[in-house]
Amino acid sequence: MNVHLELKNVSKAILRKVNNTRVKIQILSNLDLQVQKGELVTVMGASGSGKTTLLRLINRLSEIDSGIILLNGKDIRDYDPMELRRKVGMVFQVPVVFKGSVRDNLAFGMRLWGDDMDLEALALEAAIPGNLLDADAGQLSVGEKQRVCIARALANRPEVLLLDEPTSSLDAVSAEKVETLLLRLGRERNLTMLWVTHEREQALRISGRILTLKDGRLEEYHA
Amino acid sequence: MPEILALALTVLLVVLTAAYARRFGIGKEISLAGTRALIQVLILASIILLLFKLPIYWSALVLIAMAAIAGHTTYSRSGKLEGSLPPAIFSIASASALLLVPFFLLGIFPFEPRYVVPTGSILIGNAMNVSSLAIDRYRGEIKNRRAEVEAYLALGANPELAVSACLKQGILSSLIPSIDNMKNLGLVWIPGVMTGMLLSGADPIEAASIQIVIFAAIVAAGFIASSLLLHYSTDSFFTKAAQLREDLD
Ligand SMILES: Nc1ncnc2c1ncn2[C@@H]1O[C@H](COP(=O)(O)OP(=O)(O)OP(=O)(O)O)[C@@H](O)[C@H]1O
Ligand SMILES: [Mg+2]
Repeated sequence: MNVHLELKNVSKAILRKVNNTRVKIQILSNLDLQVQKGELVTVMGASGSGKTTLLRLINRLSEIDSGIILLNGKDIRDYDPMELRRKVGMVFQVPVVFKGSVRDNLAFGMRLWGDDMDLEALALEAAIPGNLLDADAGQLSVGEKQRVCIARALANRPEVLLLDEPTSSLDAVSAEKVETLLLRLGRERNLTMLWVTHEREQALRISGRILTLKDGRLEEYHA
Repeated sequence: MPEILALALTVLLVVLTAAYARRFGIGKEISLAGTRALIQVLILASIILLLFKLPIYWSALVLIAMAAIAGHTTYSRSGKLEGSLPPAIFSIASASALLLVPFFLLGIFPFEPRYVVPTGSILIGNAMNVSSLAIDRYRGEIKNRRAEVEAYLALGANPELAVSACLKQGILSSLIPSIDNMKNLGLVWIPGVMTGMLLSGADPIEAASIQIVIFAAIVAAGFIASSLLLHYSTDSFFTKAAQLREDLD
């Protein structure tokens, strides 16, 4: 047993604005989760059940209300937030590319951390055609943008990858491409992955451990 | 007695405009605004009159008070962003002071309340306008580009880097009015300082050179104030753990 990521008793409420007053809504309540090193966990759940909220807590884009999240046995609040986010990469539901070329986007992490990396090889690995490297990232198709975002996240050499419905804004063909790509990358780099999807078929295809988020807690999924 | 005649004409104009404005249902507003303006400007004149007689540090105190009010106005424009009142006052005050000093060091103006107060207040007022535009836009950009800002954060970027494009946009858009004004200086309007100097009998070349140096100082002060403000208010948009705050609207 080599627990990589652990959530214990995690609760999170959000304040929603209703008629100019803020109403507190409990999204996650006493949620527990253990993920082994290199394991792939799929999280399903209805729209609005809090899947995105859950992922955002793990790389600390939002703060938990109570409970504890451990990465390598260490409270994530004891990491420098920037350092934590380098270790825990995230791919968003809707891809956001930065201004500049694809190359600029991929080089972001490298510049940030003063790292050296073969961008051509990285692009190749993420199935980004070489002739796109110097194209303006803003003009790519959504599927291409998502691959750029994945490669950009990988350039940080993360240990954990949080995937928030990475294929949901893509058509069937590009979705399948990205799906295969992620599975291959996860295997090759021995990444611990938390993959959110609302598609049952995709969850079954990915064939990791499948959990469902319901009433603020994670349950084992039974087909 | 031109001043008595000028005040009499003001009253007449306010009354007539208000009477006419009643047809549009804004008679009351116009008479109220007119009366207010009249009273305020008379109070201002008395204060300045008083300042002329007091030692110069009183003028400095008045300017500091003005900068504090200006800072508060800008702070309100920022949506009362937590912790951004001190930076607002500091940015406006220091940028204005920085640009005020050369006028007196170089001897362009004598170091007297008559020159210190009006020049200082022009700089402060403009620095306030530019800073308000800048912070309003900065906040708007951050709000609208939340996804992009968080994408940066998620890659391990620090808050400054994550909002640098928003900051640039905020500064740029706040300077557009000043830049346009500078381009059109003398083409579509004779600016205030020059008008005043001409009316009080100054030589046109002297009036023009004073106007242009004040104008340049105004733009520089606005630029410096807005840059300082946006730089120092960045932290207000984030939590200690470098999370973009959720309550930005
Ligand atoms: N910043 C916010 N302000 C107000 N409400 C929010 C905020 N973020 C999330 N919520 C609410 O929290 C709930 C959970 O949102 P979340 O985005 O985590 O759901 P999700 O499971 O990812 O849904 P989807 O499958 O549609 O992406 C939703 O009801 C949403 O409206
Ligand atoms: Mg979601």
